[in-house]
Amino acid sequence: MKHILTLLALLVTTPSLLAQNTCATALPIGVGTYVVDVIDGQAPSPSCIGAGTADNGEWYTFFSTSDQTLIVSTDLPQNAGVDTRVQIYTGSCAALVCVGGDDDSGTGFLSYAVVSANANTLYYIAFDNRYSSTGFTFVISVGAPPPAEGPTFTPQPGLTQSSPLGIVDMNGDHLDDLVIAGTNFVVLHHQQAGGGFVASNIPTPPAMHSASWSLAAGDIDGNGRNDLMYGGGSGVTFMFQNANGTAFTQQGFSQYIFSQRTNMVDLNNDGHLDAFVCHDVDANVYFLNNGSGVLTYYQGGMGSTCGNYGSIFTDIDNDGLVDLFVAKCGCDPVDLMMMNNGDLTWTNTAAANGMADNHQSWSSAWGDFDNDGDMDVLIGSSSSNYHKLMRNNGDGTFTNVTPGSGFDTFSGTSIEWTTHDFDNDGYLDILGGGRLMMGNGDLTFGMRPGNIGNGPIGDLNNDGFLDYMNNTTAYFNDGNDNHWLKVVTVGTVSNTNGIGARVEVLTAQGTQIRDIRSGDGFKFMSSLTAHFGLGQEESIDQVTVYWPSGIVQTLYDPAVDTMLVIVETFTTDVAGTVLSSELELHPNPTMDRLSWNSSVDLMGANVQLIDASGKVLHERRITTPTLDVSFLPAGAYLFRAVTPSGILHQRFIKQ
Amino acid sequence: MGHRRSALLSILLLVAALASCRREPPEPPAVDPPAGSVHFDPSEVPYPTLSAYQFFTGPLAQLDANAGVLPYTVIDPLFSDYSKKQRHVWMPSGVRATWEGEGNVLGFQEGTVLIKTFYYDGVQPTNTRRIVETRVMFLLDGEWRFANYVWNADQTEAVLDMAGSVTAIDWVDETGLTRHVDYRIPAEAECRACHKAYGEWIPIGPKPRNMDTTYPYVDGPANQLVRWVQAGYLDPTHPPVTSPLPAWDDTSADLGERARAYLEINCAHCHSASGYCNFRPMRFAWEETTDPENLGICVEPHDPIEPQITHIVSRGRPDRSMVAHRMGSTAVDVRMPILGRTLVHEEGLQLIEAWIESLSPECP
Repeated sequence: MKHILTLLALLVTTPSLLAQNTCATALPIGVGTYVVDVIDGQAPSPSCIGAGTADNGEWYTFFSTSDQTLIVSTDLPQNAGVDTRVQIYTGSCAALVCVGGDDDSGTGFLSYAVVSANANTLYYIAFDNRYSSTGFTFVISVGAPPPAEGPTFTPQPGLTQSSPLGIVDMNGDHLDDLVIAGTNFVVLHHQQAGGGFVASNIPTPPAMHSASWSLAAGDIDGNGRNDLMYGGGSGVTFMFQNANGTAFTQQGFSQYIFSQRTNMVDLNNDGHLDAFVCHDVDANVYFLNNGSGVLTYYQGGMGSTCGNYGSIFTDIDNDGLVDLFVAKCGCDPVDLMMMNNGDLTWTNTAAANGMADNHQSWSSAWGDFDNDGDMDVLIGSSSSNYHKLMRNNGDGTFTNVTPGSGFDTFSGTSIEWTTHDFDNDGYLDILGGGRLMMGNGDLTFGMRPGNIGNGPIGDLNNDGFLDYMNNTTAYFNDGNDNHWLKVVTVGTVSNTNGIGARVEVLTAQGTQIRDIRSGDGFKFMSSLTAHFGLGQEESIDQVTVYWPSGIVQTLYDPAVDTMLVIVETFTTDVAGTVLSSELELHPNPTMDRLSWNSSVDLMGANVQLIDASGKVLHERRITTPTLDVSFLPAGAYLFRAVTPSGILHQRFIKQ
Repeated sequence: MGHRRSALLSILLLVAALASCRREPPEPPAVDPPAGSVHFDPSEVPYPTLSAYQFFTGPLAQLDANAGVLPYTVIDPLFSDYSKKQRHVWMPSGVRATWEGEGNVLGFQEGTVLIKTFYYDGVQPTNTRRIVETRVMFLLDGEWRFANYVWNADQTEAVLDMAGSVTAIDWVDETGLTRHVDYRIPAEAECRACHKAYGEWIPIGPKPRNMDTTYPYVDGPANQLVRWVQAGYLDPTHPPVTSPLPAWDDTSADLGERARAYLEINCAHCHSASGYCNFRPMRFAWEETTDPENLGICVEPHDPIEPQITHIVSRGRPDRSMVAHRMGSTAVDVRMPILGRTLVHEEGLQLIEAWIESLSPECP
C-alpha cells in the first residue's frame, strides 16, 4: 500500500513540479477551465499590479492568435474564501514585460484580470501566493477586442527602488527626470535623450524635515538647476541643487508646520521664486526669497488657521497675477479662493463665487475644460461624492455645471485631483477618485474604463504623451495619432522657471491655456513643462506666453509634435498676432478713447493693452462702452480681451 | 458608606506613611485642601519655568506632589513612543469637577490644572531616568490653555517651550531590549490638533470610565474617583461607573472590548464627529464602537493607499485592513495615530491584529 501511495503521489505531483512551476516550463493553455492544486513554484517578478512580494507562483502561457480581450478569472463559486492574485506578461522569461493582472476585482479577494491581447503574441499568466498558497480553479476566456476608450498605459515596474514624488527636469535638459527625496540623499533618474534613465545618488545634509507630505520643485536660487522643497510632518526643508548637479545644500526651518501641499511661486512678483506651504493645524506659511536664494519664514494672511490641505496657484481672473485656491478638509473645511491683490495681500472671494463649500477636499483641479480662455475647476472630495465642477464665466463669476458633467454621478474619492490632457485630443482630462475622466471639451467628462493609480505626471519617454508614476512603477502612455506641443518657459525677467506664466496655444480648433505650476494635486511634483494635446490639428497659429513680469511673447507657426523652449524676451510682434475678425476697434488710430464693435459682448471681459515690446501696460475689466487710452504713449498696441466665449485680439494705434 | 470608610482608612494610612517615610510629602487631607503651597496666578501663567508653579516639593525630578496636587492615572493611556507618564491634577480652593457622564471628560472648573510628565527609564548611557517634558493644561476664562515645559539635561528645571523640538533617546526597556526614539516634543499647534472638540480645546484622558481604577497612593492603594471626592476635586453625588474600560493589555478581558478600549483612547479624539478627522467614516469612541460600521468593519477606505487594503477592518484579514496597515507604519503620511508617535506600538498592533483575526465571516 505504501508503494502505491507513493506512486500516486508522484503521479499527482510530478506534473506540477515539471510543468507550471517555473516560467520556463509554463504550461501552454487555451480557453477553458483549469485547477491549481497548490502554489509552490517560482514566484513571478516583477509585480504588474502594485507592491507586495510573493514567495511562490504557478505559470501558464496563452498564445493569442488574434487581437482580442483575454480574461483570466478565479471569480468562481468554488473558490469562495480563497485569496488569489495574477500577473500577466509578454516578452520572455528572461525579460518579462507587464501587461496587466489583478488582485481583487472578483468577489471577495478573487481575481478578474482583463487585458487587450495582440495577435500572434504569447502571454505568460502567473498566479502568485502573495496572500494564499491554497489551490483554486481558474477560467481562461476571450472576447472581442475592446473599443478604444481613452488612453492606455503600459506598466514599467521596478523603474525605481523607492517611490519618486517628482517628475520634473532637474538638470536643465528639458527632459523630465524622476526625483526621490530621501532623508540624507536625493536620487535623480535623469531621462536620456535617446530614452531610458541614468540614476545618480547625490548625498545631502540630513534633512531637517523629510518630504513626507509633499514635494515641490523650482529654481529658487536661479542657478539653472531646480531646487526641492520638502513638506514634512513638523516643518519644511529646502534643498538647493548646485549649478552642476553634484550636491545639495539645505535651508531648513525649525518652525513647526504640519505641512500639506507645498508650492513654489513668485508671491510678490519680484522675479524671484518664493514658496508656500499649507499648514494643517495652524495658519499657512510662506517663504520670501531675498533675490539671492535665501528664504525668510512668514505666517498668516493666506488662509484660515487650520484644515489647509491643497493649495494651487493659478490666475483665476485673468489679471496676470497668480491667485490661490485652498482645498480644505477636517478643521474648518470650507474652501478658500484667495484673489491676489498684487501686494502680498489676498481677498477670499469663495463665498461670492459659490466656492465656499465643505467638500472635505485635499486638492482641486484647475484647467480650462471648455477652452474658452479661463480656468475652470473641479473640486474633488476625499470622502464623499460631493464633487463640484465650476465653469469660469470669464467675468468674475462662476456657474455650477456639475449636473450632467459626469461628476454628479461619480462616486470615486481621492486626495489627488489633477488635470492634464492624457489622450492629446485638445481637451483636459481629470485624474482622481481612482479613475481617469476624459474631457469632452464642453465641461462634460466620460469615465475611462479601469482603475488608475496616482502619482507625479510628466513625459517620461519624450513622446509628447503624458506618463505617470504609481509607487515604483512607471506607466508609459501608449499614445495615439493625435498631435501635441510641449512648451518650456525659461524666465529672464520673471522667475527662471516661468512659474506663474500663462501659456496660450491657438489652433484652428480654438484656444488652449496652461499655467506653469509648481505643485498641483496634493502630494506630488509634476512636470513644469506645459503640455498641449492638439487632436488632429497639424498646424499651430501661435503660442503666446504671458509672463509674470507682464511681458507678453508670441511665436507664430511652431511645428506640431515638438518641444518649444521659450526664453523670456521683450520682442513681441504686435503686428503679427492673429487678429479676431469678430472684433473691430474704433477710432483707429485713436487719440484718447477706444470703442468697439464685436459679435461677442465685451462687458465684464478682462482687457489687456500690450505694447510692441510685449509688455502689458494696462489691464482692466470692461464696465463701460468705451475705454480711456489717453495715458498710453504713442505706438502700436495689441488689445486682448478674455471673454466667456474665447480670447479676442485686435490691433490699434495710439497717436 | 463606602466613601467614609475609605476616608478613615486613608487617614490611618497617611499617619502610617508619615511615620515610615519622612521624605514623602503629606497626602491631601480628606477635605478641601488649602491651596497655599501651589503658586498659580492666573494673570501670570504660564510661568517661564515649571518650578515656579510649586506643583512639586523637594528636588523637581522626584515629582513629589505638593499639597493639593493629586497624582492620577488612566486605565488606558495613549501610546506615546513607549514613554512613561505621570499625571497630576490641581484645583484652586473651592473648585471641583462636575460629573458629565462616565464617558465624558470630567467637568473641570476655572483654574483647574492638569499636569502630565513624560519620561523614560533605563536611558543610556547612564541607565537612568530621563524626564523629557511636562505638559501643563489649565482652564482660564473657560478655555483650556497649553504650556509645555522641556526638562534640562541636569533634570533640575523645565523651561516653557511652545515651539516643539526633537530629542534623541536611547533606552533599555523592561525586556532588556535597547530602543531608540527621535522623540517629538510637540509645538503648541500640535497640542491643539488633538486636544480639540468642535473647535474648543479639551482634555482627552480623564473620563470617569477611564479613571475608575486603583491608584497606588503613598498611603496605600485606593480608587481614584473615591480619592478625588475625598480631595474635594469631584462632585460627591456622582453615580457609580457602570462599565469601566478594560485595560487594553488585560489578557483576561474580552478581546473585542480590549480592542475597542485601545481604539477609544488612541484614536477617538480625532475619529469622532467632534474631532480633527471627522471626515473619515470611523467613529472610534467606546460608546460608538458597538456598531461594527463605526469600527470600519467591511467598510471600504476613502483613500486605499495600497490596492491590497480592501477595508478599514477586513474581518479575519489584518493584511487587508487599513487600521492594522496604518498602525504598523512609521511613514509620516501613513501612520496612525498621526501625531504623538513615531514608533510602532508592537503590543498594540498585536492586539488589533489578533482582534481582526478573530472576526468572521470574510467581508463580502
